[in-house]
Amino acid sequence: MDLVYTLFMVAVWFLSTFFTISFLLHVIKHRDRLSESREFDFSKQARRVSIVIPAFNEEERLGQTLASLEMLDYPKDLYEVIVVNDGSSDGTARVAAQYADGRHVILIDNQENKGKAASLNDGIERATGEFIACMDADSQPRPDVLKKTLPYFSNKAVGAVTVTVKVQSAKSLLHKLVDLEYIIGLSLFLKVMSLFDCVIVTPGPFSIYRADLLRKLGGFDRQNIVEDMEIAYRIHREGFRIEHSMDTHVSTYIPQTFGALYTQRKRWYSGALLTFWQHKGTLLRHDMGLFRYFIPYQYGLILLGVALFLYTGFLWFRNAFTQLSYYALTNFNFFSQFKFDFDVLGISIFSFFGVTAILLTVLFVSIGLKVTNHSRKKMAFGVFGYIALYFLYQFFWISSLGLILLRRRPRWR
Amino acid sequence: MAVERKLFLYAGIITVLLFVMIYSLNVFLSREREDSLSTRMDSLIDDFEEMQALFLMSGIFDTNGTCIALQTWMSQMDKSLWDLGIKLDQYQKVTEEYLKDPFYLEQKKKFNRRQVIYYSILKEAKDRCSLNATSLLFFYRKSEECPDCDAMSFVLTDLKREVNEEVAIFSFDTNLDLPSIQVLPVFFNVTSYPCIVVEGKTHCGLYNKNELTKFVCDAGQLSICS
Repeated sequence: MDLVYTLFMVAVWFLSTFFTISFLLHVIKHRDRLSESREFDFSKQARRVSIVIPAFNEEERLGQTLASLEMLDYPKDLYEVIVVNDGSSDGTARVAAQYADGRHVILIDNQENKGKAASLNDGIERATGEFIACMDADSQPRPDVLKKTLPYFSNKAVGAVTVTVKVQSAKSLLHKLVDLEYIIGLSLFLKVMSLFDCVIVTPGPFSIYRADLLRKLGGFDRQNIVEDMEIAYRIHREGFRIEHSMDTHVSTYIPQTFGALYTQRKRWYSGALLTFWQHKGTLLRHDMGLFRYFIPYQYGLILLGVALFLYTGFLWFRNAFTQLSYYALTNFNFFSQFKFDFDVLGISIFSFFGVTAILLTVLFVSIGLKVTNHSRKKMAFGVFGYIALYFLYQFFWISSLGLILLRRRPRWR
Repeated sequence: MAVERKLFLYAGIITVLLFVMIYSLNVFLSREREDSLSTRMDSLIDDFEEMQALFLMSGIFDTNGTCIALQTWMSQMDKSLWDLGIKLDQYQKVTEEYLKDPFYLEQKKKFNRRQVIYYSILKEAKDRCSLNATSLLFFYRKSEECPDCDAMSFVLTDLKREVNEEVAIFSFDTNLDLPSIQVLPVFFNVTSYPCIVVEGKTHCGLYNKNELTKFVCDAGQLSICS
């Protein structure tokens, strides 16, 4: 065990413990505010809304999405749906055309595949609403989504509102793990971050923005592969807040296979780091509040965590290889060295760091699931699931860092 | 909403308190480790005095009676010495994950000295009392200087589990600045590390368990040889 390893371990422990405890204290203190429901005042808050849906090869699910928008609990004459076909090679345009009436549902049928950000911008250009909701073609919001989000805009400083993202039909173990991640990451985490004014993403499945702000920002960045994250930086830079509503949600489909999830996460994580680098200047500005500290803190912790994970893995494999070479000298007599001798005095300081990290994870997941009204059964799965997610994340982050270091452009699909 | 600095301050305080708790617990365990080793070492030293007394008596009084007592005592000593050596290594490893503690160097010196005394008495007692014990000396250096020493130690631990008190194994750390330890490698013509000496025959290098078993079986009749 060397000094570098010890320093790594202590640094990661300090940063992650401080973060987790800060998070939990905010959850406990503001538990009543987390799921608060803001009353929708029709006379004051009913405004025209444009819902923009970029769609690339979404023939299968677009119909379900458009049907869900028909069910919105909001006056039909106060919202329009703009579907932007992004040069799909399947029947996406045909499905959209079945709903399009040129007034309430509009189809922009681009023959060329321009990318998600460009498609969103095409929709924004055509939008007539005072607020613009951008959503994915495979996501279905709850009928009350507009009534629950629009009241936040009574505060002039609010530039965008995000909602809880739920996984549509999580049946396999992988989907259940991602579901767990979404419950904490794309619901509670965003809510607590909104308390700090540090929401770092306006998730693609459904987020609603002030139309004039989007236009002032010039829409989404066409070059960016995580456009929903990049725009969050610019919203903060313009001095606006991003709020999160936990009392409504949008259901979305997640990648069906591990390979597809891997590709998606490589895009997300490498895109997140590239966006951080793209906006490093923004983070130096004094008017960015806590955001300017939170972003470097978060990515610093992630990078240190990955380095620690890699180094620990290296030490573990090296030790395993050494032990194996020793056993080879004793004709692989594995049982001869085994002697059950639990000695509390033989516990290392690093075990205590590990135990506190595990206990905090248990606390974090338990409280997280409790305040989001999930069952005890889910809690038991949650604790083990989060530990499994930890290893999965490391794998995704290492791959994403590899992409960046090799200067390879992440793929969308 | 204004940033609640107080909550972050509390989080910082709790984090530091947790760290201090872990550190204090570790300091406490570290002291307990040292106390435990000191107690074991003191007990071993008492046992050594008894063994030395018996050894001296065997040369003066009725040889048969004292030799039987000496043999029984040495058999117990062999186990205590071996167990203490293992604990010493275990605790030193745990402690030195984060700091070098001079305590362990001192204990190692004491331990190695006891081994030299024990080996010397055993050698004499074999002639005086016709004891049927095979001795194996293991000379090692720290792993930076001797990459194979840990592997050799592993094989010896494996062997010891099978032979128990039939073979008395002595591990000498030649990095220790002890005159008694420095004399032995010269006497046994140790040219490189790791090096083992079985009943006076020197074998330097890394050996597997089969080779090691052959060395000890060549030196004496043991239960594992049949």
